[in-house]
Amino acid sequence: MDVKTFQGGAHIPHYKSYTEDKPITRLSPPKKVIVPLLQHMGAPCEPLVKEGDKVELGQKIGDSDETFSAPVHASISGTVTEVGKRTVPTGGEDDCIVIEAGDGPQEFEMKQIRDPENIDLEEYRKCVREGGLTGMGGAALPTHVQVKYNEQVDTLLLNGAECEPFLTCDQRIMVEKAEQLVKAADLMMKSIGAKRTLFGIEVNKPDAIEAINELVKDRDDMEVVSLAVKYPQGFKSHLIKAATGRDVPRGARSAELGCIVRNVGTTVASYEACVYGKPLIERVVTVSGPKVTKPGNYLVRIGTPVGHILEECGVEDLENHKVVLGGPMTGLAQPHLDVPIVKSTTGVIVLPPEMTREWMEYTDCVRCDKCVEHCPMMLYPNQISIYAEASMYDTAEEWDLMDCIECGICSYVCPAARPIVHWVQRAKPEIQKRQRSRK
Amino acid sequence: MVSDTQKLVISPSPHLKGKETVSSAMRDVFVALIPVAAVAIYFYHAYAAFLIGVCLVTAVLTELLFKKLQNKKPALHDWSALLTGLFVAMLFTATTPWWKAAIATFIAVGIAKELMGGLGWNRFNPALFGRVAMIFLAPLFAYVDGWFAPLAVNMGAVDVVTQATPLAMLNAGMEMPPLGQLFLAFPGGALSEVSPLALLIGAAYLFYKKHITWHIPVSMLAAIAILTLVAGQNPLYHLFTGGIMIGAFFMATDWVTSPFTDRGKLIFGACIGILVVIFRLGLSPTEGVAFSILIMNAFVPYIDKVMKRPSFSEPKKQAQAS
Repeated sequence: MDVKTFQGGAHIPHYKSYTEDKPITRLSPPKKVIVPLLQHMGAPCEPLVKEGDKVELGQKIGDSDETFSAPVHASISGTVTEVGKRTVPTGGEDDCIVIEAGDGPQEFEMKQIRDPENIDLEEYRKCVREGGLTGMGGAALPTHVQVKYNEQVDTLLLNGAECEPFLTCDQRIMVEKAEQLVKAADLMMKSIGAKRTLFGIEVNKPDAIEAINELVKDRDDMEVVSLAVKYPQGFKSHLIKAATGRDVPRGARSAELGCIVRNVGTTVASYEACVYGKPLIERVVTVSGPKVTKPGNYLVRIGTPVGHILEECGVEDLENHKVVLGGPMTGLAQPHLDVPIVKSTTGVIVLPPEMTREWMEYTDCVRCDKCVEHCPMMLYPNQISIYAEASMYDTAEEWDLMDCIECGICSYVCPAARPIVHWVQRAKPEIQKRQRSRK
Repeated sequence: MVSDTQKLVISPSPHLKGKETVSSAMRDVFVALIPVAAVAIYFYHAYAAFLIGVCLVTAVLTELLFKKLQNKKPALHDWSALLTGLFVAMLFTATTPWWKAAIATFIAVGIAKELMGGLGWNRFNPALFGRVAMIFLAPLFAYVDGWFAPLAVNMGAVDVVTQATPLAMLNAGMEMPPLGQLFLAFPGGALSEVSPLALLIGAAYLFYKKHITWHIPVSMLAAIAILTLVAGQNPLYHLFTGGIMIGAFFMATDWVTSPFTDRGKLIFGACIGILVVIFRLGLSPTEGVAFSILIMNAFVPYIDKVMKRPSFSEPKKQAQAS
């Protein structure tokens, strides 16, 4: 088998055996949901409801006039009890709509409202916007801005790499919804005007590769690209490089690369938004960790508090544990359990103390070069970390700090346990400020 | 019931950690030196063991003293002080007066490592720095030896110490012992020079543990082999004598004082090899390896800068050329 990949990167134990064979199951609806008004990159939504309003499952409760935005919907039927600041998974507080469960349907009825064989593309694009679709793999860009017709784009690249440890939600979607995924890809490909669709999948998911290969093997315009199991294979830039061989220079737009990358979950959800009229009110979330009694891939409502999920999955003692939303390499550790699941939450990972590192106990860089060896961006994380730690931002910029994709490999391999990504994240806004003032 | 009051840990990503730590790596290097130390003790008995002991104890005391003076937490658990102590011991001959070895260790750990900012900030290999400092301080010992003389420890005679070292034999053009024996184990010279084989066993362990890569040793040894061959000498005699083996696998490959990238490492190693041959064939007959590595240590920041690789995001230029 021809296996493709990129330079650098590292093999990280993937801990997927906890959940890779667990079929997607529906989690019981929570008694309340907390729906953030900003779940995407771009402008936040304005609330369309107020305290005391009755809302129905699937009802639009927030929207914006800005192009770069995506509406949000009620993920349960009930009463709005609060519109205000709540802790969100991206850190800090933000405007949210809190709904308490009440009367009305609590399950979305999957009734076909459009014939999938015969869909008007303009209508499809409208459905994607109205359905509140955003990237569900992490970056959370509003999907509708990237399904427009674009003659420069020849390739739709579906991201099924899922290189983060523990996560298996995309794998399960590819295995269980392969047929729908291929139809969804067909539709999206037509909408964009791409000539071909590539499915990029790491070879540690043979079931997913086989399921999709079975469906596309006779087609000229679709192909499965087997990718080496290497972190961070699923990052957009490295997926493009591995699957198409194209370089991804800084600042390049997808169109200039002739390539649009879509997460497999987003692709299926876009299809459902159009064919069934189902807005993005739930998603598949991997709940995993060595101490989770019932790990699995669960269909979870957007806005479900993490506490409800952990309770359902049999997690009891959390003393000194870390609860991470997203994958363990790039996800965020949460301060408490009333934080909601959002459209881009791929996983809820519970890490016991022995698996994580005490991050304050780092020492000086010993120049072992392991970060240089593994950096997928060909940077010098060792130098960057020294200058960023010392707030020498101009020098850090000379060492290309701004190109860092924050994948976390450098900190993972660092024997001195240096929190390199943390310093990079601290430096970036400061350097951006300086770049703007230079212009 | 999951309660909200439980203490959750918050820290920046990534949340997983690799297994390797600075301590485990330094300890591995220490372990890798045990075979050659064992051969040295086999040849020199108490002399070697005593010298190693003196250097280890001095290293620990020096580290404690300097951390105290700088108001820093002692970092003995990172093994770097112990490792430097062992390295210094391996660079001396078995009958070296113990105070010389102790002073060299003090300079290595105290000045070359701690005063340079601690592990990671030292530009020169501390052990080699300590060793070479003793060469420059030699005139001083005309006086100092007198003071310490009453403290000399007599451990009886060791006849193997008195014969010429293989490196001296090579320089004097004397008849050499068989190559196989030189490679396996042959007494003479510094403790680390007794057995290239034992050093290679240690180096193999470091390769296996991925603490060193092939780039520096191979480019350094290749440069030496080619140049000595061109000069009409048997390269193997050069490779198996003096400090070339420990230099190539243990000293030049020191994390802190070698370049970042593979290409940088190749250049670094090759330059050391060239310098070693210049020292051996032209300048000083001994300590050429130590000088060569220290000289190239000084050039490491420059090599790193010149050899900087382009970022993954750097736009390629050939596009508009074609």
